[in-house]
Amino acid sequence: MSLKTKLLLLVALSIAGSVGAVAWLIEERAHDSFREIEKERTAALVNQFRREFDHEGEEIARRIETIANSEAMLRLVMEDNGGDFSSHMSDAAGYASSQGLGFLEMIAPDGATISSAHWPARFGYKQRWFLDSPALRPQQPFLKHMETPQGSKLALLCLRPVHGHGADFYLIGGRTLDAVLDSLSPPEGLRVTIYSSPEQGEPEILGQLKDGVDLAKLTPLIQQVLTPQSSATQGNEKRGEAWRIIDWGPGAVEEEIVHAIALPGYSDRVPAVLLVGNSLERETALETRIRNISLTIAGVGVALGVIVSGIITARLSRPIKRLASAAAAIGHGDWDVRVEPGSRDEIGKLAAAFNLMTQELISQRERLVQSERVAAWRELARRLAHELKNPLFPLQITVENLLRARETTPEQFEEVFRESTATLLEEINNLKTIIGRFSDFSKMPAPRLEAVDLDELVRGVIQLVQGQLARGPARVETELELGPVPAVRGDPVLLRRAIENLVLNAIDAMPRGGKLTFRTRQNHRSVVFELADSGEGLTTEECARLFTPYYTTKEHGTGLGLAIVQSVVSDHGGQISVSSTKDCGTTFHMELPLWDSRDESHHRERGATA
Amino acid sequence: MKRSRSQLRVISLLLLAAVGHASSRPRYGGTARILLPYRVNSIDPLADEDHPATRDRMARLAFETLTEVDARGHLRPRLAKNWQSDASKRIWQLRLRLVSFHDGTVVTATDVVASLRTAEPAWRYTANDPQTITIETPSPILHLPEMLALERFAIVKRQADGLLLGTGPYRLTQWQPGERALFAASENYWGGRSYPDAIELQMGTNLREQLLQRQLGPYAAAELSPDGVHALDQSGQEVVLSRPADLLAILFLQPDRPSASARKKRIDPRLRQALALAIDRAAISNAILQKKGAPASGLLPQWLTGYEVLLDVPFDRARARKLAADAGLGASPGSIALGYDSADPVSKLVAERIAFDASQAGITVRPYAESHINSKSAQSLLSVDAVLLRLPLESLEPSVALAALAGDLGLDGETGSLALSAARPEDLLQAERKALESFRVVPVAHADQALWLNSSTHNWQLLPNGSWDLEQLWMEGVR
Repeated sequence: MSLKTKLLLLVALSIAGSVGAVAWLIEERAHDSFREIEKERTAALVNQFRREFDHEGEEIARRIETIANSEAMLRLVMEDNGGDFSSHMSDAAGYASSQGLGFLEMIAPDGATISSAHWPARFGYKQRWFLDSPALRPQQPFLKHMETPQGSKLALLCLRPVHGHGADFYLIGGRTLDAVLDSLSPPEGLRVTIYSSPEQGEPEILGQLKDGVDLAKLTPLIQQVLTPQSSATQGNEKRGEAWRIIDWGPGAVEEEIVHAIALPGYSDRVPAVLLVGNSLERETALETRIRNISLTIAGVGVALGVIVSGIITARLSRPIKRLASAAAAIGHGDWDVRVEPGSRDEIGKLAAAFNLMTQELISQRERLVQSERVAAWRELARRLAHELKNPLFPLQITVENLLRARETTPEQFEEVFRESTATLLEEINNLKTIIGRFSDFSKMPAPRLEAVDLDELVRGVIQLVQGQLARGPARVETELELGPVPAVRGDPVLLRRAIENLVLNAIDAMPRGGKLTFRTRQNHRSVVFELADSGEGLTTEECARLFTPYYTTKEHGTGLGLAIVQSVVSDHGGQISVSSTKDCGTTFHMELPLWDSRDESHHRERGATA
Repeated sequence: MKRSRSQLRVISLLLLAAVGHASSRPRYGGTARILLPYRVNSIDPLADEDHPATRDRMARLAFETLTEVDARGHLRPRLAKNWQSDASKRIWQLRLRLVSFHDGTVVTATDVVASLRTAEPAWRYTANDPQTITIETPSPILHLPEMLALERFAIVKRQADGLLLGTGPYRLTQWQPGERALFAASENYWGGRSYPDAIELQMGTNLREQLLQRQLGPYAAAELSPDGVHALDQSGQEVVLSRPADLLAILFLQPDRPSASARKKRIDPRLRQALALAIDRAAISNAILQKKGAPASGLLPQWLTGYEVLLDVPFDRARARKLAADAGLGASPGSIALGYDSADPVSKLVAERIAFDASQAGITVRPYAESHINSKSAQSLLSVDAVLLRLPLESLEPSVALAALAGDLGLDGETGSLALSAARPEDLLQAERKALESFRVVPVAHADQALWLNSSTHNWQLLPNGSWDLEQLWMEGVR
């Protein structure tokens, strides 16, 4: 990661972090405020419900009272019919209709239903819940589930005894809580429903706002207020009250705080629960808005920060980049590169130091080249002297023998002359050979590039030296691990000569025999040829100097063989290297570029020109 | 049988005494307007109607049968002057009266044969001469003449354009299906012109509302439900009642014998019996029918046969509960969907009471309002398991009445055959026992027919089975 990138990241993260922290604080404040408002609104609505509930109860009681005091009712309780009230079977419907009651049952002293407005077919059915336990007989309006043909319905009821001849009749009547619920005017975002929990049958949600209510999600909250032991005070919750945030899922209202308040019946059992839902839509919307604004501020801040810091870092990093580029150029061999100091600050001083360092490196390199050149000339001179000294000494001895024979034994001169001239000619030929070798090295021909199958070339070389490998005093075994590899770009004659040199060099390195391993493989855009011997190996120093002309580790070598190999590989745009481990052998690695389509077209053009 | 006949005689006399205002002299003229609670779409006696009893009342004004059974249960000639049978009671010869259809054409034996063949294709008919026909039945029918008094055997001339011609005291002049029918007195009626100029029937009216609003002034009569009777009783209006004649019964729609085409689930016979035991018939009769009916344990009412008490099905909730549990093999025995006539508020109450009684015995019965519950063609399409039917007592002759009920209930032909060949009350009892033994039919109650009559309406005869005899009807205060 570049210095500029690091600086930009640091700036962006700092801005984003700061904005995020501020946004979180604002959100928390808004959240707390909403909770406070929600509690107040819920409390107000619950109070309104209680008022309407009481009012509705009073109204029902008044209407039941009217029925109880009606002439027809009084006639009924006073008539002597031997307990046969069948002619009054339909009376309750009429009373209920006239008094606007949804439920009305006329009960005989023995608990038998004389008439039922909401379930006319239930006449005669005995209900004794208020007879058997007078303590349970409610004096005030109460909630109870009334049985109807359609199942249990929650109703707000009043029980009113009507005194007859020594026995009490009873009127039980009431209404559903629809009127109470309808009379409520919850503010926007609030809704109120009732969870009805009959003793038998399935629970249901009452009220107009029951859409989208998933009972399963409400169950834990409702259980909390329905279960007696859990209705005790818990934390901030009042007895019989609890609240929970319910996520309704995708829909009109996704999240709501739902308050559950138990609505008592005539016994300990809770018949219904008032549910007040407070939509979190506004809070969620505000949170989303805060989040969006924060994101926008963060985004703009980060963008501005990046731009400003980009300009600043660009001014800072430009001279550093120039220095890096200059260093890279030097690395690639361009020693003439210079860096303008530009300023007098640390960066300018660094540029000046870099220029000074480069200057020093160039002068050191020139001195090194010069010394190497001198060393090479000395080595060449030493080698030439050594090579030329060997044939010159026999020449001198032979000429001296000739002179001595002519002076001391003229009669044998003729014979000595013939022998000496033969020797002279032989040594002169040696001199020619030596000079020819040097001449060859200096006149390495330019390669004629074409597609060369390296595997094929290696097999040809092995075939050529096979006899020599088997003929020697020590047997050399060969092992092939060849490709297949694609064609390389090369001169088959020169490459063959180079590989032959490597093979002969390797054979020389194994005077007591061993194993030669030939490998070829593809490496990206080149093919690698490796030749491994199992000889004694080379030292690190030997490896370093192995390709230097006239350097040899052999007693009779010219030191030109591997130098020629390196020259050939270099002329092909390839590379050669050596790796060796003492006593384990030496491996030469030759890497040659692949033959490609451009080489093909170039080759065709050249052929046409020829 | 003699006992029941004598009972009938007494009842009819009482009814006549109650209804007939014979003190005034009959007068011609006026239109008798009648309110009917149900709607009828055709007056053809063979049409498949939702409320056949109402249809038959209308049809009886325009069409006549060969014979008739009077209020005393006596067989009387109508279009047939006389009749005789061979010893086997299979071949019957009837001599026709010389009468005309409403279009003036004379009724011939060929017309009668054509009409009867449409009503009962299984019999063989021969027109011996223009005034004599022979009917040959596959098996002996002791009461064929009484059977021919059923409205379905009314003589109808069905014309190619769909027009129906009859010989009755009135002819249909205006017809709005399901709404209104106007019958004008037939001037050339063989029995003499009727007193009223016309009879107008208005269908599908809510009588209770009209009663409460005291809007009955222009009307001569109105059919009532029990709650209507209660309301009128309190207002001092005149209400006449038939005997408990209509049968309220539960019919399980899945036949006893499995068939490939059966689509409905089969209710276990033990569950059917349990339901029969769970119903508090007395409560239904006393409260819902307001004592204008009687608990039913048989298909025919006690006053007609005298043996219904022998078929008594006790109200035994404990046994019902046990049977229901047995039917469910320890598990829930399942629920019974019970359809009732949505146009009949009494049926609704009865169905709900049955459901309530059943629930007390651990049986789940779910009542469903159905609009075409009495139509046989519609019954096969209903998705309920059982229906609560209200079936009229079509004849005052017990054998014929039982055979007609068996036909209306879709029971197998054996019940009808046994009934028609029954020579003694014991045979009829046996036939009825056989019809009820599988509990496919569960009788609930026999209900009275109730009728409100305007004080200006005279000589309206309500027969014990609820049929109307308007032969002597006349309206007071009309010109």
